[in-house]
Parts: sequence; C-alpha cells; structure tokens
Amino acid sequence: MNTTATAPAALQRSNWKKLAGNFLVRHIMVVVMLLIVGFFAYRSARFATPDNLTNILIAAAPFALIALGQTLVILTGGIDLSVGSVMAVSAMAAAWTAKNAGDNLLLPLVAAVAAGLFAGSINGFIVSQLGVPPFITTLGMLTLASGFAYVIGDGAPINGLPASFGLFANTQVLGLTLPVVLMIVAILGLAFVMKRTNYGLRVYAIGGNRLAAEIAGVRSRRILFSVYAISGLLAGLSGLMLASRVITGAPNLGQGYELDAIAAVVIGGASLMGGRGTVWGTAIGLLLIQTINNGLDLLLVPAYWQNVIKGVIIVAAVGVDVWAARRGRR
Amino acid sequence: MSTVRSDDSNQVVPMLECSGITMSFGGIPVLRGITFSLEPGTVTALAGENGAGKSTLMKIASGQYRPIDGSVQVRGQDLVSGNTQAAYELGVAIVPQELASIPEMMVYENLFIGREVKTRLGTLDRAAMVKAAKGYLKEFGLDTDPKTRMRELPVGIRQIIEIIKATHRGARVLLLDEPTSAIAEREVARLATIVRSLRDQGVAILFTTHKMEEIRAMADRVVVLRDGTLVSDTPLADISDDGIVTAMIGRELDQLFPERPDAGNDVVLEVKDLVITVGATPINITVRKGEILGLAGLVGAGRTELIECIYGIRKPHSGTVTLSGSVLKAGSPQDSIARNLAIVPEDRKGAGAILSMSILDNATLPRIAAFSRFGVLSRRKQRSAISEVMKSMRLKSSGLDQHLENLSGGNQQKVVFGRWLTGQVDALLLDEPTRGVDVGARSEIYRIITELSSAGMAVVMASSDMPEILSLSHRALIMRELGVVGELDREQLDSPDVQDTIFRLASGLRAEPLKDTTP
Repeated sequence: MNTTATAPAALQRSNWKKLAGNFLVRHIMVVVMLLIVGFFAYRSARFATPDNLTNILIAAAPFALIALGQTLVILTGGIDLSVGSVMAVSAMAAAWTAKNAGDNLLLPLVAAVAAGLFAGSINGFIVSQLGVPPFITTLGMLTLASGFAYVIGDGAPINGLPASFGLFANTQVLGLTLPVVLMIVAILGLAFVMKRTNYGLRVYAIGGNRLAAEIAGVRSRRILFSVYAISGLLAGLSGLMLASRVITGAPNLGQGYELDAIAAVVIGGASLMGGRGTVWGTAIGLLLIQTINNGLDLLLVPAYWQNVIKGVIIVAAVGVDVWAARRGRR
Repeated sequence: MSTVRSDDSNQVVPMLECSGITMSFGGIPVLRGITFSLEPGTVTALAGENGAGKSTLMKIASGQYRPIDGSVQVRGQDLVSGNTQAAYELGVAIVPQELASIPEMMVYENLFIGREVKTRLGTLDRAAMVKAAKGYLKEFGLDTDPKTRMRELPVGIRQIIEIIKATHRGARVLLLDEPTSAIAEREVARLATIVRSLRDQGVAILFTTHKMEEIRAMADRVVVLRDGTLVSDTPLADISDDGIVTAMIGRELDQLFPERPDAGNDVVLEVKDLVITVGATPINITVRKGEILGLAGLVGAGRTELIECIYGIRKPHSGTVTLSGSVLKAGSPQDSIARNLAIVPEDRKGAGAILSMSILDNATLPRIAAFSRFGVLSRRKQRSAISEVMKSMRLKSSGLDQHLENLSGGNQQKVVFGRWLTGQVDALLLDEPTRGVDVGARSEIYRIITELSSAGMAVVMASSDMPEILSLSHRALIMRELGVVGELDREQLDSPDVQDTIFRLASGLRAEPLKDTTP
C-alpha cells in the first residue's frame, strides 16, 4: 500500500467534492427562488413589473426585521415565539402615544422601540439569567404581550391618529419607502456584524458549543441576553411600520408573524440547534415567502389554498436543502 | 510470539476468529493484519495504549465497522461486516465504553427492551418482567430493585446490567470496551467475579484495557496491540508485568517523549488552600517557570475539578490562585485569559472545540481582542497570526476555513491547543491532552508541551496515561477524593516501582509509607 502518496490526492479530491457540495448547499435556495420567480413571471404578466417587485419589497420589510432578530436568536440555539405579539404591543404603544401626543413623531417612535426593547429584555433576562428554556419563556411573552396590546386599546383598535403617523411607512427615500430602506440597511448591517465583528463570532460560538465558548472567554449570558433584546427591539420597529402603513393601531397586528419569521430563517439554512445559519440565507428565505404570497395573490388563488401551498413549499424547500447538504457531505 | 492453541491439543472450534484484519481511517492505518481467535470459556485481555487500535478492533469484531481487508468468523460462520444485527444474531455482544442503556427507563425495562414479555391480550406483562429481572440480577449478585431508574444507579452497576442484558439474549462472545475506565475500585472486583462466572459458563470474553491490575485480575490470556500491530499473544502465566508493559509501549517510549529540559526557579502559578467543595482537603500547589507538573489519580479523584477551579470555569469553595504575582478572580475565565492563563480541557468535543466553526474562528475566540479594533475583526491580523501558529503545530488541514468537524481528533486537539499560542501564555493547564489522539499526533503534542515549558511556561498536566505522567513531568502529584495525597519528585518518578506507588496512593492503599508526601 502506498498510503503516503495517495493520501494527499484523495484528500484533495474529497475537498473538491466538499467545495462543490458547499457551493450547492449555499446556492440551492437561490435556484429554488429563481424557479419560483420564473413560474410566476410565466403565469402572470403583472408579476415581473417594477411596480409589483416594489410591492414585494414593501410587504417584506416589516417581516424582514423580525426575521433578522429571529436569526440571531436561532443562531444561539434559542427561539423567539413572542415577536408577533411584541409587534402588536409596540404598535399599540406607538398609536396610543401618537393619539395623545399630537403631531410629535419622536414620541411614538420612542414608545414603539421602548416597548419592543423592554419585552425583548425580559425574554433575555429570563433565558440568560434564570435559565428557563427559550421556547417556554417566549411562549409566555407571546400571550402576555398580546394581552397588553388589547389592554392598551381597551379591546379595540386605536383609530383617528394624526396623518403624520403615516410618515414612518410612507416617506420616500431614494425612490424607495422608508421601511424598504430600513430593511436593506438592516440586512447589510447585520450581515457585516455577523461576519466581521467580535459580537457576531461570539453569537456563533455560543450557539455552536456554549461551554467551549465560555472556556474561551465568551460571556455567554450577556450575549444571550442581547439577542433577545435585539429581537424585541426589531419587533418594536416592525410593529410601528405596520401600524403606520394603515395609520391605525390594531391589537391583532402581527399575529402569526413569528412562524413566518422562523420559516424564513430555516429556509435560509439555519439549524434550530444553533451555530449554523447566515443573514443572507434569512434574506433569501424571507424573499421566497413574500414572493410566494405575492405571486399566489396575482394568480387569484383563494386565501385558504394559499396557506396550503405555502406550507407545502416551506417544507419542500427545506427538504431540498437537507437533501443537498447530505449530497454535499458525501 | 506464541499462541494458546497448539495443533496437538483437542481441536476446539474458536468462538470468534479474526484473520488479517486491516483498517485505516482517512488514509492513516489503524490496524495492520491482526489475526487472533477466542476460545469458549476463556477471558482475553486486549491490551495496548490509547490509540493502539483496541476500540477499532472491537468494533470490527462486533460488526460495527467493515475492515478494509481480512475477515471475522463466529463459530465458523462469516460475520457480515458493517451489520451489527447479524453479529448479534450470531451471538456476539459488545458493551461499549459509553453505555447504551436508556437512563430514564427502569432496570427491567432496559433488560427487556426489544423482547418484552406480553400478556395474552398483547399488553406488557410488567409483573413477569420484574420477576424475571430480579432473578437475572440475583444470578449476578445484585440485589438492585428492578424498578429503579437506570440513571439513579452508579456506572458500574449499569455496566453489569448491560452485561446481563447481552448474555441473557444468548451472547456467546462478549466484548467489553474499557469496562473499568469509569467505575470505582470495589466495582472492579465485582466485575471480575462476573467475568469469571461467565467464563465458566463457556462464554468467550474479550476486554480492552491499558491497566496492568485488570489484566492480572481477570484475564487468562493477553493480546497486545501497539500502533495497530499485534505484538504479543500469550497465556497470562507465560508473561511478566514488565513483559506486557514493554510490549505495550515498546522501545517507542524513548522516541514518543522528547527530552525534558530543566525547570526554572521562579514560581509562576500558586494555588493556596484551595478547597474544591465543602469538606475536601485544602490543596496547595506551586508550579515554577518551565516546570511540568503531572496530576495523577483515578477517575473521580478531582483532577479535572482542580484544573477547572484554577482556570475559573468552576468556583472553588475557598482558596486563591495566584499567577505571576496577581490573584485571579475566582470563577472568571475572562480574567484568567487576560492574565495569560490557558487551558486545554479534557472533553475536546464538549468543552474545547466548536465543531461547527472554522479553524480560523475557533482559534480567534480566546484572544479575540488582539485581532479586532472597536469590535470589528481584522481578517488580515487573524490569518497571519493563526496560520503561523498552526504551521508550528504542524496542523493538517485543507485551509484555515475548514470546519473543525472535518478534522481528525488529533488535529482538532492541535487547534484547541494552538489557539492560545497567538499570544503570551504564562501558565498552561492540560487535562488529558492526548485522549482520543492517534500516536503520530501524540508525539507532536508531547514535543509542543516540552518546547513550551522550555520556553518558560509553567504547565499543569492531568493525565490518566501513566507513561505521559512518568516521562513528561518534572514532578507529579497524586490526587484522591478531591485532595492531594502524595507528591513524587523526578527521582521517585524514575524508580522502578513508581507505578505501584502511584496506584497505592491513588486508590488509598498505603501499604508502603512514602518518603515525602508534603510539599
């Protein structure tokens, strides 16, 4: 046996395979995305118009913020089920403030951000300091925040807000609405943070192996606290934008959004066990879901059927991803 | 080399016969042409150092791995490799090092799992199973209640229950992988009794070990592996302890361990009155510049706990740790890192490496501040420092972006080790630094440890590997029950009966008084 001579060659070959596999794993979702876009463009003349594509981005924006927060939480191996309710309570807090503070724009903004950050911080404190499992902590917060959203409006939506309240969602910057700009900035910013900063590396580290990270000097409790706080903060902003779009505070706003956010992260290739996943993946995942929503609307598919189709596509997309990953590993 | 079989004796059909077993992982040969057989009613010890290939051979014999070359026969029938079910049906059972019992289930449930007793209605007949289980346990001298949950039992008992489970399903060949590595002293004696009684019932038993006492206590015959080669196959009566040790270690001992430079005089690390938990004896240790201090002791003696207390992963009950003149903050790894203390933990996969991250990211983590500015990482700084260190560690990888899960155990250990060396290290804590590391990488790790100590680092090394303690350390402490029970200087470490001395101290049998036990 001539192991010394064949070993490096074999190693190289398997590395090539791995590289090819990694490439496939990383880009399979883009392929799926292109297929879906191609299908809708073929079936609907309106789909591929600039107007419609802008619509997709506008619909994606509030949803993008919570999906990004969710990405951080899932990277640590946790989950944040409360984001939908936190959106609602933040929107109600902002609407109530707007109603009582007149034309002031800063106060509703502060109210929404503070409500989101506060709810997220409570999640973070309970998970990181008390060690309660994230699923249970945020499930509790889901119910609690939703309850508060109704308390603020006394069981009803808050209407009759000053027109200026609509500026958050409808101001145009560089030809795009403010939420879309915010989404793009958030994606780019978070992608940079996760890839290029100490903080990002530490989030990946505690998700990959918390004990090993602690031994290497990572203060895991602080990091854990921070991801839930950030998730809450982004949910607060997201709630504000959604409320601003219709100039109303609705206590049932954002309901069920947490599941779409989790779906987006998972479609993006993140592992619910933590340590694996990227911001880019989440961005692709959320665009995929929004594209499906939009395309099915254009094709006039009835709403209930849309849910059925979406469910199938989500599982199929992740199935393809898992399959590709297994192929890549071989 | 002699074998127990001779051609003129009564021809016995061997229970298990391995012929020409060859195996390699990722191009690195692990077993080279191993041939041996097990006769019914015999106990064979498979001895060898860590990384000699014992566990791999066990896994091949039990059908878990498919060898590259060679065959396994059970009572004359070919064992289909890579098929554990077939091996099981042929009567081969393995009790692995990490036990396969289900901790949340009760003892009798574990015993009957997969072949439950049913009533006529097809429901579980729990009463019958409990009764039968009680009988099985009694046969093996256990009066454990079959309704105890598995997790509430000590590891030694759980292991015996695994053995009962295997043999009551008709196993005629029993493979025990490191059966004593995790159990207490008196449990070893019970295990030996059970092994002997199974032998008398005609079961062929093969167990792996690297401890002399166990070979003496249990085996009829000893097969020694070294570096994947079978170097000795002898009836126990025909070989001396020294003969076995020489066969296990070979003349490689001199080559495996580099020369030991002299230690300095300045005290670098000082542990004062450290009490690990309430009731434990206070520990006092000083380690000088360039000194390698070995920590020996049995499993559970407190070596890992001591190292964790020094580093700050665990908060001691009381006491202080001083490094280069300043007292370390208890329970703060961050403070330890900032004061140039480094650790290579025992459980590489659980506590050392982050397998889902790249070599670069793993190596960045402990000294992250050195590679960043205002919290933003400089890839250039990272790459230049880390690639240099990894080159000096002779890391084999496809590049710094390779994920750790794709590296061999030895190379993972080099990353866990090397990540500290991008900066100054005054004292280094090593916990089982070569566990699960193949022989080639081990000698490199020894070389690195020695080089670092000669460069002035103070090293504390906990190890269960006797040659490691004897050959690398300038001085060794023996621990028992969370305290230090003895200290051996270099001269004592060189004396021929040192293994016996260490064993006596570690197990609490102090028949011979020691010259000097207090520092």
